This record gives sequence, structure tokens and C-alpha cells, in this order.
Amino acid sequence: MSAIKPSAARVLLRNWRGSYTVPAGGLYPHQWSWDSAFIAVGLRHLSPRRAQLELDTILSAQWEDGRLPQIVFHSGRDDGYSPGASFWHSEQIPGAAPVATAGLIQPPTHALAALLVHEADPAESQRRRFLERAYPRLVRWHDYLRNRRGGRGGLARIVHPWESGMDNSPFWDACLQAMTETYTALIPRPDLLHADADHRPSDGEYGKYLYFAARYRDHGCDDADESFPFQFEDPAFNGLWARSELALATIATLVAADPLPHRLEACRITEALETLWSTERGCYVARDILSGTLQQYRTVAGLVPLLLPGIRHTRELLDLVRGPHFRLGEVAMVPSHDLTAVTFDPSRYWRGPSWFNTAWLIAEALYERGFTTEAEQLSRGMENAALEHDFPEYLDPHSFAPRGTTRFSWTAALALDASTRIGAPR
Amino acid sequence: MTNAITLQEHHLPGSSLEEKFDVALAWGFDGIELRSRGDFHFASRLPELRRARDAGVIMPTACVEMSHFIGAFDAELREDAITQLASQLSVMAELGGVGVMTPGSYGMFSRRLPPFEPPRSPESDHRILVDALGRLGEHAEREGVELFLEPLNRYEDYLVNTLSGAAALIVEIGSPAVLIVADTYHMNIEEADPAGALLEVAPHIGHLQASDSNRLEPGAGHLDWALFGATVAAIGYKRSIAIESRLSGEAATVLPTVPPLLRRYL
Repeated sequence: MSAIKPSAARVLLRNWRGSYTVPAGGLYPHQWSWDSAFIAVGLRHLSPRRAQLELDTILSAQWEDGRLPQIVFHSGRDDGYSPGASFWHSEQIPGAAPVATAGLIQPPTHALAALLVHEADPAESQRRRFLERAYPRLVRWHDYLRNRRGGRGGLARIVHPWESGMDNSPFWDACLQAMTETYTALIPRPDLLHADADHRPSDGEYGKYLYFAARYRDHGCDDADESFPFQFEDPAFNGLWARSELALATIATLVAADPLPHRLEACRITEALETLWSTERGCYVARDILSGTLQQYRTVAGLVPLLLPGIRHTRELLDLVRGPHFRLGEVAMVPSHDLTAVTFDPSRYWRGPSWFNTAWLIAEALYERGFTTEAEQLSRGMENAALEHDFPEYLDPHSFAPRGTTRFSWTAALALDASTRIGAPR
Repeated sequence: MTNAITLQEHHLPGSSLEEKFDVALAWGFDGIELRSRGDFHFASRLPELRRARDAGVIMPTACVEMSHFIGAFDAELREDAITQLASQLSVMAELGGVGVMTPGSYGMFSRRLPPFEPPRSPESDHRILVDALGRLGEHAEREGVELFLEPLNRYEDYLVNTLSGAAALIVEIGSPAVLIVADTYHMNIEEADPAGALLEVAPHIGHLQASDSNRLEPGAGHLDWALFGATVAAIGYKRSIAIESRLSGEAATVLPTVPPLLRRYL
């Protein structure tokens, strides 16, 4: 048994809420979409059945248009997180899920997670018809991305920094700095009761975040607001979409459906990702669709396409992650932003700190491409930091100091998964 | 080293504990959980038990098998239950065992069945349990063994139904020799989140009993044994896990399926 399993299990068992796992006990009291997918990847080592339920639950909150919402407010409580159910009023939006949810989405990691959960115990998965249940919902989710979020370039667009999962990435700086609108109502910040304000987005950023969210909501979350001021193509979001299409192809085979459309879709998205390649930075970057400009920052999001076997710039990405900008093996895990950039901040959320979910994605990519020594080193780094600091949300890349909250669910889940599969001696 | 898996003795064929132990080993178990009857019957088995111990039979725990318990409404029966348990704890001490388990009561009263209101006040219930557990805790401490308090489901007892209820009593008593035996069947009825409940009282868990959602042997119901195994690891429980179940078929057919199922996850 992996040495981390009992400790990781304690975090995940404590953060379980009957049919889903909260990201952390205090700071995040609801079910988050991509958190759930990452959490299921770890839960499968504790209970394949519980991991299936985690995904069943997020899939059960699917809207009629196929979207999987960013947050599901199962508890009916609306006092622990802002913006909550009373901000979104999803019950007033036609086609929304029966349970209260946010209207935005998060990166499509779910098919990837569903396949891994199935593989943890194929017999139990088959007995419970897990994939038969998940597959059509996952197909509709990806259809939503293509039909409602797809643009001429073939990539899905995000309409809010939160949809990237990397809320305050420097990718969004120019857009946010240029905008004059802000949310005018009171901005509640219950998050600051649980985390250091220096490590969280600022009030100014939050006002702009809420402006975008309110405008999207007030347009019925219909993705038809053509002048919507925040529209980006993000390399991690689309890289994960392509990767999940590959997973969906495998799932299709397992449920006797046709895998070919998913393989073709993965190829199409992978090819379209090339439009986000920055020769200047030597990595994939985000594009502001409205201005047409690439956002010239090296971030961990730009490394995520390493997960795609068909990507054209593998060698450049490997050089980048090993070089002075990300210093793989020399700093904590993989920094969220270029260590040499003036915009780098070792403590502030997605502007520098190293996160466990992106470390897991890069470890997966390295492992699959045969760089097993580096993958194992990264996996051990995740395990050691998780155990030493009580499963922190993220780390200062230089000092390895924990930041954000602790007993963070995906930290426990992914450190457990990495140590079990990648870091385990073979 | 994973947990030892033991089987209660009445399921095992054989004319002696040594023979029963051989069968237990052949079926994949690691040892036997004894059944300790009243009227000093358990103490009367000492020659048999000593011989088995000397022959290498593993029998770390005893599950009380009586018609009255420490929470009985009748004062004489309560006192007798305490006397019998004290004797049984001494027997286990002599055998080098771990401990003996008891519920507050069993089959005496349920708040879910008529007449719904027990003939004793909650305050008296509490005082009686604290007194009995405190005295037995002192005895167990002196003997170097442990008493395990078992929460039963609401249809079988009304005194102690949940792990948190048992833990509160144990904290109040303050004896390190009184711990909880958690039974997966009862937890499945009483705990909204059995894994979370076990985690909450982890320092007080002294013994585990496993049976499935329908009280049959593990694997015959719908409990999540993977989750059970992960929870056992999460609470750091290293001791034996006893199978206290009804059986879904012939013992020799169904019981050998249990150790491989549990070991898959432990």
C-alpha cells in the first residue's frame, strides 16, 4: 500500500458530503466541476464505487444544453461562497439543472476521469453500468463545447477567467485592465475568512469577475451575447478537451459505440491548438478572440498540450519545462507562471504558485511520453509536499511553503494517484 | 501487515478449538473470535481455552453471548452482567487475548417499536452505563485487557446506537481500557456516513466486526468493502476484524469467499 494512502484517505473521507466531495472544508463548500473530476481520479483508489458516484453526481447536474456547470450548490446553503446560488438563480434559466448551479463551466476533465475511474475496477464499473450512464452525458458535454462554445478556429472559447480554472492567470490581465465596468453591488468575500488575502484574488479583480458573471447570467447563459467582453481560447482548456475526446474514444469502444468521431475530434482540436502556439514564447498561450491577440505569457496552461500525442511542439515544451522558466526538478512541482516574468508572484494563486492538479497533468504527460524518471520525481515531489504540509492547496515554487487552504481534496486525490501509479516502484 | 481476519467460533465445524482453528485457516481466516456465555460458562472453558492457546490457536477477542447486559432494566441482571463480563475479561487476560465486547443491551427495548418509551429515564440510562463501564474499565485495566462497547442499531437496542454516542460515554469514563467495537452492519443503519463516522472516533476504536448490509457475510449484501478497507487504513486500525454474520449459504461454501474479498481492500 502506498505510504500516502491513509493520510490522503482521511482528507477525502472528511470532505465527502454524501454524494460528492467538497474541494476543502471551509473555503469551498459546494461541488466544483473540474475539482470533482480530479477528486474522482484519487477516490478510485479508495472506493471505485464512490469515485463513480462523484462523477455521477456532477453529471447529474448537466443542463439541457449539455453543459456541466462550474459549481453545483447541493446543500441549499448560500452563506459559504460568493457568488452562490442566490446570485445565479439558475432555477429561473430555462434548461438549467434541477439542482441550483452556476451558469459558467470549467475545463472538460470529466471523460478523462471517467475512463480512469472505470479502469480502477472494470467489473464493478460494468456491474453498475457506469460507463453506459456516463458516456451519453459526456458526449453531450463535448457537443456543448463544440456547438455553443466553438468558434471558426475550431477551439472552444471561455467567457470568464473562472472557466479556465486558473482565475487570475496573467492571460486575462490586458482584458481586465482595459475594462471599465465592474460589479456595482456589494462584493461579499467569504473566501477571506479561510485564506490569506494576499494569496487570493483582490477585490478589484473580484468586481470584474462578478461583472462578467452577472452579464453572462443576465443573458440567460445562452452563449449568444456576441459582444460579450471576455472571450478567450485557452490552451489548457482546449488541451484537456482534446485529451478527453481521446478518453471518450476508448469509452466508446467499451460501450460498443463508434470511437472514430472522438478520435477525429481529438485530432481536429489538437490541430486547432496550433493557432495558439507562440513562437515568441516557445509555448502555447491564450488568445483574446475579440482583439485577436495572443497573450504572450508562459504559463502552466501552455504546457498542458503536452498531454496530446499529436502535438507538434513536444520538444519545445519539454525544453521549456526543464529550462529557466519552469525549472522542473529544481523548484516545487511546476510553477503556474514563468519564474522569470515580471508578472510572477510566488504566492498569488495562478500567477506563480505550483498546483497539484497541473503537476499531475504534466507528470501524466511525461510518464506517457517515456520520461519516467522525471515523472517519478515530479510525483514524489507531489507526495512529499502533500504529506509534509497537510495537503495544501498550492505551494510557493521557491520556498516550497504551503499556500491557500489545507486538506485540499484534489491535492490528496492526485498525490495519491500519482504516487500509486507513477511514483510507485515497479 | 494487513489486519488479521477472524471468524466467530460457532460457524466452524470441529469438536475442539484446535480443529475449528484448522478449518478457519483452511477457509483463509487468521483466527477465531470466541463467544463468551454467562453463568461463568466462559470461565469453565478455561482448560479448553488454555489448551487451544498452547496449541497456537489465535483467538484475540470474545463476543458476549448472554440474555441480559450491563444496561438491563433489572438491577440484579445488570449486576450479573457486570460480574460475568469481569470474569470474561479475566479469562481473556489469562489467555493473553485483547478483550471482550458487549452492547448496552440487546433485544430489551427499541424506541422504534411499541410502546416506544422505555420504562427508565435517559438520565438513569446514562448513569447506569457510566457506572457499569467505569467499573468494568477499571477491572480491564487491572487485567491488562480491554472492554469493547458495541453500538447496536435502533431496532435491537436503544441505549447506544451510534459511534459518536459510544465515544461520548467513553470520553466521560476516561478509562483507556474501554473502547468501541464498530460493526459494519449496525453502522450501515445508524451512521449517515459510516466512513466519516469511523474517522471521527478513530482514537476510540478497539475492534471491528464485519458483516454486510443484510447481516450476511461480507460480499452477500451491498456494502462498499473497498471503502471499508480504505477507511480501516485511514483510521490506522491494525487489529483483527471479526466476521459476525448470518450466512447466505453453507458455511464451507460461503465463508471461504470472505477473506479474499476483504484482503483485496485491506
